[in-house]
Amino acid sequence: MDILRKLYDMTAFSNLIDNPAPLLMLAVGAVLLYLGIKKQYEPLLLIPIGFGVILANLPGAGMGIVPGDLIELGDHKYMNLFEIAHEYGIMNYLYYSLIKTGLLPPIIFMGVGALTDFGPMLRNLKLSLFGAAAQLGIFTILLIAIAVGFTPNEAGSLAIIGGADGPTAIYTTIILAPHLLGPIAIAAYSYMALVPVIIPFVVKLTCSKKELMINMKEQDKLYPSKHEIKNLKAVKIAFPIVLGIVIAFFVPSSVPLLGMLLFGNLVKEVGANTFRLADAASGPIMNAATIFLGLTVGATMTSEVFLDFKTLGIIVGGFFAFAISVFGGIFFVKAYNVFSKKKINPLIGATGLSAVPMASRVANEIALKYDTKNHVLQYCMASNISGVIGSAVAAGVLISFLG
Amino acid sequence: MSDNFELALQLLGIGMATVFTILFLVILIGDGIIKFVNRFLPEAQKPVKQARATSSAVISSSKMAAIVSAVQIVTNGKGRITSIEKQ
Repeated sequence: MDILRKLYDMTAFSNLIDNPAPLLMLAVGAVLLYLGIKKQYEPLLLIPIGFGVILANLPGAGMGIVPGDLIELGDHKYMNLFEIAHEYGIMNYLYYSLIKTGLLPPIIFMGVGALTDFGPMLRNLKLSLFGAAAQLGIFTILLIAIAVGFTPNEAGSLAIIGGADGPTAIYTTIILAPHLLGPIAIAAYSYMALVPVIIPFVVKLTCSKKELMINMKEQDKLYPSKHEIKNLKAVKIAFPIVLGIVIAFFVPSSVPLLGMLLFGNLVKEVGANTFRLADAASGPIMNAATIFLGLTVGATMTSEVFLDFKTLGIIVGGFFAFAISVFGGIFFVKAYNVFSKKKINPLIGATGLSAVPMASRVANEIALKYDTKNHVLQYCMASNISGVIGSAVAAGVLISFLG
Repeated sequence: MSDNFELALQLLGIGMATVFTILFLVILIGDGIIKFVNRFLPEAQKPVKQARATSSAVISSSKMAAIVSAVQIVTNGKGRITSIEKQ
């Protein structure tokens, strides 16, 4: 009988009977896997996150991330990585070495930089301002989240979802409210995957047919740019260097993200001499970082952390942060059009989010529905790329004031 | 609570102002670099070979830029355009 008892204790069934909450989390993990595999919503992230959730909630497996106070020894001293691995397993080793240190989001930003082309933005520099207006959702939701009871740090982490940038949201949350990392990462990536739904929804609510038919190429012919670019390659090489240095003076806390983004972009723009670096940054390094980021972020979502009122608040607040950001960009374009002879299609404001290039593709499809000759992709890319810079700066502001 | 709300209001103002300032700087920096490069480092104009005038010669530079951007976005910067033909 004693042996049977020990056998029973050895299995996971005893843990599940004592605490059935992990079963619900296994279902959450399965839903995320379904969304990633079947619906193809951000599969590169949602599949590792979903599997991480499942691993973390397998009873007795010891793969869930433990709270930071368990690895604190007092007097601001912490267990070393060997002790963490020995005591709490490899997932905690990965989390505390790669995520808690804030290493992976900037690494991913380096890869994003190596995949980014600033060309459309440099050809339409004035459109960059709409990438600033589209950060409105971040700071509006910060206000609302504090009003409904989130602490300022939690509200800052929730609000950054409005920037529509996964690595930025994760980086900010690691610093401001690491206990909310799982729900915020999932909300950020889920809403990024829902860009094809959210942007048309907000555009339909706020824009008229006449506005959506504004043809940017015709506007360019009517009001041409003052000067053409005579050596685009040289401009593209100088731009990340100068921009990185200038931004570092104004918002130094955004440098870990923006600095790596601009470095990745520089090695891409230099061309053949640094092709291997750009290829590594945007390929193997970013892919490896994405795997570990997804798995460990998923592993933070244990039932104790996820099944909480705040998770619901993050899901709802994240949606509104996103929608208000889209609205902010559109509203700014409308205001601009009142004072300017050269009219701008409001879709260019709607793409001031960081979700590159999906937001631009969605906006282009909307424009083509109203006028089959109205290709706005390259114009939307200008505000879209500036949105990446804008959300990283917004994160820097939040970290500076709340961190 | 009211202190936190005041902080959030401050951040709304400061945050949006900072983002606008930085992106305004992006415009100024980009504009400055373009002017500098146009003046001191313009790319040498390649002579147009009339004999080898292909369809790309009849495509305007803005259309070409749009096509190049679209290909780079769709292929994550790995695609290259070798020829453009009208059908």
